[in-house]
Order: sequence, then structure tokens, then C-alpha cells
Amino acid sequence: MKHRAFSPVRIAALTGNTFTELVRLKVFYFLLIFALLLIGSSIFMAQLSFQQEFQVLKDVSLGAMSIFTSLLAIVATAQLLPRDMEERTIYTILAKPVPRYEYLAGKLAGVLLLLLVSLLAMTAVFLAVLFVRQEMLASETLRQTTGLRPEQVQEAVRALKASAFSANLLPGIVVVYLKAALLASLTLFISTFATSNIFTIFVMVFIYFIGHLQATAREYWLQENSAGWIAKTFLALVALAFPDLQLFNLVDDIVAGTTIPNGLFAQTALLGCVYTSVYFFFAWVVFYGKEL
Amino acid sequence: MTEPAVAVRSLTKVFPIPFRRTKLVAVRGLDLEVAPGQVYGLLGPNGSGKSTTLKIILGLVSPTSGSTAIFGRDSREVGSREAVGFLPENPYFYKYLTGAETLRFYGKLCGLRGSALKNRVEELLHLVGLQDARDRRLGGYSKGMLQRIGLAQALLQEPRLVVLDEPTAGVDPAGSRDIRDLILDLKRRGITVLLSSHLLAQVQEICDRVGILAHGLLVREGRVEDLLAIEDQTELILQNATPEVLAQIAALVEKSPAQLLETRQPQTTLERLFLEATNNTEKK
Repeated sequence: MKHRAFSPVRIAALTGNTFTELVRLKVFYFLLIFALLLIGSSIFMAQLSFQQEFQVLKDVSLGAMSIFTSLLAIVATAQLLPRDMEERTIYTILAKPVPRYEYLAGKLAGVLLLLLVSLLAMTAVFLAVLFVRQEMLASETLRQTTGLRPEQVQEAVRALKASAFSANLLPGIVVVYLKAALLASLTLFISTFATSNIFTIFVMVFIYFIGHLQATAREYWLQENSAGWIAKTFLALVALAFPDLQLFNLVDDIVAGTTIPNGLFAQTALLGCVYTSVYFFFAWVVFYGKEL
Repeated sequence: MTEPAVAVRSLTKVFPIPFRRTKLVAVRGLDLEVAPGQVYGLLGPNGSGKSTTLKIILGLVSPTSGSTAIFGRDSREVGSREAVGFLPENPYFYKYLTGAETLRFYGKLCGLRGSALKNRVEELLHLVGLQDARDRRLGGYSKGMLQRIGLAQALLQEPRLVVLDEPTAGVDPAGSRDIRDLILDLKRRGITVLLSSHLLAQVQEICDRVGILAHGLLVREGRVEDLLAIEDQTELILQNATPEVLAQIAALVEKSPAQLLETRQPQTTLERLFLEATNNTEKK
């Protein structure tokens, strides 16, 4: 029988198994319930003007979604390889005709599937809260505008609806997902040579903060005319080694109601895919020669 | 000439010790061949290099020098594992899967699907006697049951070679006997078995050939009978021999140049005694 160098069936089996493994983790439910409660509680927000209310609602919800998916991507991925190695299940898998890149691809795809399901659940709750608040405010607006002409009433309701739902919500959520995918891939890479999952999580938290702060630091330092070549080289190295996570932060634009240009969205999405692929490639290079 | 099931040529494995200048030589210049259909036992104390050798054969660890091949294919080729089933020492499978789910998962990794996979899973659950526990999660399995499901996953793709690392470690005598019977059944079906074990009595009973490793070196190798035979001694086992018959034999021996070293009653094994006693209790 000729061995197939690439088998989607094998990857699908590993993906399904990884997804099941992660869904059984208590930390997943804890984080998901926490995020859903946070998004859901926005419904009881203090009465503000409807523009302000929708802004706060989007800010809180998209922020919660971003943090939760990033945290889940790191925590879930960090324990996959160490657990398989500790419990020796990796031997039984790799002693089958499974190439190592398929094993890693299955693990990463399992995490990505989990992130997708979680993000879809949060998006559903977020949109439901947004819709409920919009309907509540619309009926209130109708009650308050009894003396106005129908065109004025319709205009007020249209302004309210436009303020609630905007076209840039979807790209914003896609970018949140891509950022989490990037972090999962980077965590997988770190875990191929880390000594424990705690070490991996620690390193990833460090990278997460550097990834968010480096853009600000770069701007600050490069604005200074005195920034010498040492500072510039250092910043260039930091930018190469750590992903610039601030590029994936489109929440502020969405909250402000700014339309995200298609070009910016495509560029950010492409960057997310490239980062994810490059880190996966690095993970495979290290894992290929790993002694089990 | 038939291709050996396993061929190990001048194999050496050195592990560098982190933060020290010294290195650990796990296997030194090992040469080994396992013929198709044989049951081969790799023996040796802890740290003698048995598990490392098995891992190199399975492509889990790369050799420092030398090579290993399975039915003529280099172990480093992923495709060489199409012909192999492996049961590691003390295996822990995914606790959240049931017995049947575990076999389905590993079956898909071997390229099985559809009704072929379903039938093979049922067949193997029956073979290892776990049909009643098929829908129980592995978290609730006993050590012996885990070993049996491990053996079933090793047999999924109908391998021509089965590699077992300490297959009876930590298993009670009844479970150990079941595994021994399964190995003998594999042998009858022409499947090559390469195993490592500490249980010398069991290895003696089931292996055709053994290799003894010490400090990474192969210190003895050959057919079990040849290695164990004491060439200048003969054993007679008599049933219902009267004292007169025994006296006549002793007199005959005395007249000859031979020497009678010992006369004793053969004993049953502790394993057989244990199994008889526990089986009788079960029947009551």
C-alpha cells in the first residue's frame, strides 16, 4: 500500500480529537461563561444617549471578545503538546503513518475550530444584546416622538439603527479571530521547545504585552531625532521577533463608527494569515527534529 | 532472500546532557535482525537502551549513527510505519474517549474509514475482550483494560510487525496471561512481534529469539533454546515412577561415567497456581 504524504482524513481526525479535548477543559467553560456574562450584562447598562450607549456596548463586547479569544488561544494551545508527551499518547499517534506536520496541523486546526465556535457564540450573544437594546430604544423613541411628523420619526429610528449596526462589525470580528489564530500558532511554536506549559504561557503573556506596546514605543522613539542606529536596530529586531498586535486592534475604529476601508481590512487579514503560517512553519521545523 | 522484518545496523544513540559536558550513550553499535514471523524479545535492565532502540526503529528518535529498517524501508520514512503497530510502556490514551471512539480515532490515522473501519473496530474489541466496555470512557478503565485497548489500537491496520514495549508491565497475572495468549495468536497468524520485557519467564515462554542489552551493548543474542540449553546435562521427567524404578535408574547411572546431580519433584509455576486459585474463586 502506497503511503499518502498528505491526508485530509488524518488531519480531520486529529482536529476533531483536539477540539473534543479542549471542549472538555474546565477553563474553557469558565472563560466562555465569563465573556458571555460580560457581553450579556451590557443590556443593563446605565441610560445614556443611544449613540453613547451603543458605543459603550460595542467597546465592552468587542474588547471582551478580543481578550477572551486571545487568552483561550494561548491557554488552550500551550497544554496540547506537553500533555501528549507527558501521557505518551504522542507515541501511539506518531508510531502510526502520520507525518509530524499533520500532527501539528491537526492540533492547530482543533484550536482554531474551538476559537471559531467560541467567537460565534459570543457574536450571537453580542448581536442579540445589540438588537434587544435597539428595539427597546426604538420603541422608546417612538413613544417620545408622538407629536412629530412620520418622516421625522422614521429619520430618528433610522439614525438609531445606523448607530447600532454598522457594516464594519463583521470585519472587526474577523480581525479578532485572526489575531487569536496568530497567537495560537505562535504558542504552538513556543510549546515545541518549551519545558512546560506554564513556561509557554508566561512567554506568551510577555509577547502579548510587547506585541501591543511595541508600536507605541516605536513611534515614541523614532519621533525623537536623537534616536540613534542602536535604538533603530533594536526596534527593527523587536518588530521582526514579535508580532505587532496593535495592527489587529480595529475595535477603536468600530466603536467610533469609522468605516474600515476594504484595503486596510484585506491587509490586516493577509498579515494575520502570513504570521499564522510563518509561526506554524517554525513550529514544524523545530518539531521535525524533536526527540520524543 | 526474504527481507528481515526489522534490521538494525551499527546503531548508536548518544544523548547530550544539558548544561553538562558529558553525554549519555544509550545504544552502542547495535546490530540486530528480526526475521518475519518471529517473536523477538529484547531484554535488559532499566537504562540498558531497550526503549531507545524501539523508538529509533519506530522513527520517534533519530539515530546518532547507523540505521534501522522495517521490511526494508528506512525507519525515518513515515511510510515504513504502515506495516507497524506499537504499544508503548504504560500507555495513557485520551481519557475522554470511549474504547470504541479510541479505536475509531486511531483507525482514521491508519487510513481506515466507513464500514471497513467500523468492522475492524468491532473485530478488535471482540479480540481483546472489551465489547462490554466499548462505550465506557477510558478514564474508568483498569490498567489491564488500558493495555488491551492499547494492543487493539496497535493491531488496527493489520500490521505485519507489532512492537510492544513492556506489554505486561503493571498488569495482574490474569491480564498478563491474556496478553501472552494474544502474542501467541499473532505469532500463529504470521505476524512478527518485537517486544521488550522484564518478565524473563514470560519471554522464555513466548519468544523464539532474544537479545540481551546491557549499557547499550548487545551482550547475548540467539534462539532461546540455544541460549538456555546446558549442553552436558539431560533432564528426565517420569510420571508414576515407583521407588524401585528410581532405584534401578540410580544404579544404572552409578555404573556409568554419568553423574546424577539431582532428583526432585517438578513444581508448578506460581503463575499457574495463582490463576487456578483465582479462577476457582470466580466460579464459586
